[in-house]
Amino acid sequence: MKRPIFIISSLLFIIVVLSVARVALVNSISTTGIELANLETEMKAQKKQNELLKEQYLQASSFTNIEAKAKELGFVEAKTQVYLSEPLPLALKQ
Amino acid sequence: MVRFRLILFIFVFLFFLIVLRLFYWQVVRAGELASLGQAQYGRQITLTADRGEIKTSDGFEIAANKLSYLIFANPKEVKDKERLVDVLAPILAVDTASISALLALDRFWVPIQTHVEDDVKNKIEELNLPGIGFQEQSIRFYPEASMSAHLLGFVGKDNKALDRGYFGLEGYYETQLKGKAGVAIVIHDASDRPILAKMNDNAMRADGKNLVLHVDRTIQFILDRELKRGVEQYGAVGGMAAVMDPKTGGILAMSSFPTFDPRHYGEYSDDLYKNPFIANTYEPGSTFKPLVMASALDAGLIKPDTKCDICAGPVSIGEYDIRTWDNKYTADETMTQVIQHSDNTGMVFTGRKLGLDRMLSYFKKFGIGETSGIDLQGEALASLRERDQWYPIDAATATFGQGITVTPIELLTAFSAIANEGQRMEPHVVRMIQTADGKEIQIPPKVLSKPISSKTAKVMTEMMVNAVDKGEAKWAKPKGYRIAGKTGTAQIPVEGHYDANKTIASFVGFAPADDPKFLMLVIIDRPTTSIYGAETAAPIFFKVAKNILNYYGIAPTE
Repeated sequence: MKRPIFIISSLLFIIVVLSVARVALVNSISTTGIELANLETEMKAQKKQNELLKEQYLQASSFTNIEAKAKELGFVEAKTQVYLSEPLPLALKQ
Repeated sequence: MVRFRLILFIFVFLFFLIVLRLFYWQVVRAGELASLGQAQYGRQITLTADRGEIKTSDGFEIAANKLSYLIFANPKEVKDKERLVDVLAPILAVDTASISALLALDRFWVPIQTHVEDDVKNKIEELNLPGIGFQEQSIRFYPEASMSAHLLGFVGKDNKALDRGYFGLEGYYETQLKGKAGVAIVIHDASDRPILAKMNDNAMRADGKNLVLHVDRTIQFILDRELKRGVEQYGAVGGMAAVMDPKTGGILAMSSFPTFDPRHYGEYSDDLYKNPFIANTYEPGSTFKPLVMASALDAGLIKPDTKCDICAGPVSIGEYDIRTWDNKYTADETMTQVIQHSDNTGMVFTGRKLGLDRMLSYFKKFGIGETSGIDLQGEALASLRERDQWYPIDAATATFGQGITVTPIELLTAFSAIANEGQRMEPHVVRMIQTADGKEIQIPPKVLSKPISSKTAKVMTEMMVNAVDKGEAKWAKPKGYRIAGKTGTAQIPVEGHYDANKTIASFVGFAPADDPKFLMLVIIDRPTTSIYGAETAAPIFFKVAKNILNYYGIAPTE
């Protein structure tokens, strides 16, 4: 008498637990779509910002731009270079 | 008891039936139901592949991608078309008629303008104009403007209006650069929000591979600047030059003028697109002499102090007379002096020692009459005439680089043998290919041939150093450096005869002579201030060479 009751009760308990678990799972997934959309939007915005900054960086560091800026600041081409080939009259700490 | 067991059995049996049915719908028919679901709620999106970037040796992106927008309109949603046209036309700098014509079409979607910059797009977006939308696009972007335009090529459209590279690196490496677009299906709910569900595998999408070049941005900048100045200063039609690392064949810089802006290639004539350094053929003139001299030295037929016994005056061959460029003759001139004075009669002497067959054999070893194999689209082939078409006068004039045509890259590659201990290297612009997932594929240097021994290369180098130190261009040479070089002044053939006033002036050389770090060829097309290579191409060569030596921190040795 006890055993059948035990088996039936166990089955009922499992059914109830699984039902509750399903409801909880569906509930949690239902809002992830919104989160996914938000993440996608943010990722797109960051990617766009990244590309714009990269474009600015490349423009700013191009030699064409640097030469123009250097001329504006009054820099001129170096006409001579000096190479130190004779040993210096100094004792260098090794 | 029996009844309880019966009831239990019924429950278990029903449970089993349900499980079986679930198995049928969720496993056996799963694929079919998923497809049905996707068809109902899924949306197919094309994942465009990013085009690979092109970087110089320091990692700077000389050809990159930049964000832009396609502005489109839905004419059926636009109520006040006139107002929209009046607002958009000044912002987009487009005439009102073209926008009006597009809005008059009976369509749901019309493109108004492509490749619109981000700030312009934001300005229009703020106006909240009904019926106007934006689609992201990627366009090619060249931060250094027209620097090395011929080397890069440009990205245009193919017959399906898709991006495609033309000329230069964009053309040659089109397959690696373009990547592969993918397709994905995203499931959306009734409110158009994405559902975290299984998506189609989008692993088919593959971004283009990046190219890392041998090109040194500093050397490229110097070469562009000095060549442009030189072409203007000497009143030339144009000019071209390239710098190579003779030990690896790596192209450190390549430049041509006139040039074009790859961002606005459509505004230039088609003729400007091809790279003259690889696509044009010309008669090299005296810059060819070291190759012939090195061949005779290598064959053991002459030595640097061998005396020329026909150099006392012009040399007659049939009805022709071979003369020196300045009509000055020195009896018993040594081979070293022949190169120093750029003596055509001395070269005829050398050619006779070699004989035509041996000379042609050495030409083949030096790669004359073959393409160099450089990794750029558009290389021309300057074929040599067949053996039975060589007459004595042709054999004679070929020794001083007339009556024979080469491409500049062919000549530069041949000289790499003299600068690199006898080994001729395959020229290469790309050093390494980077895949989207970070793998690096190195392109190793390749030896094409060994036309001369390293001993011959050393001897020829010394003769060329002597030519620079004591020849016509010595006034332009930077002090304190041992530079090997040779001037060239080739007359241009016009309608069967040579025009005495129109020349291709050139200079080829490498430095430092004892351990060459770079090899360079400069060609000036039809200079007007002077026709001679010693007075036009040579000064440009030495200016660039001095800048490169300083850039490399190589101190003078003399």
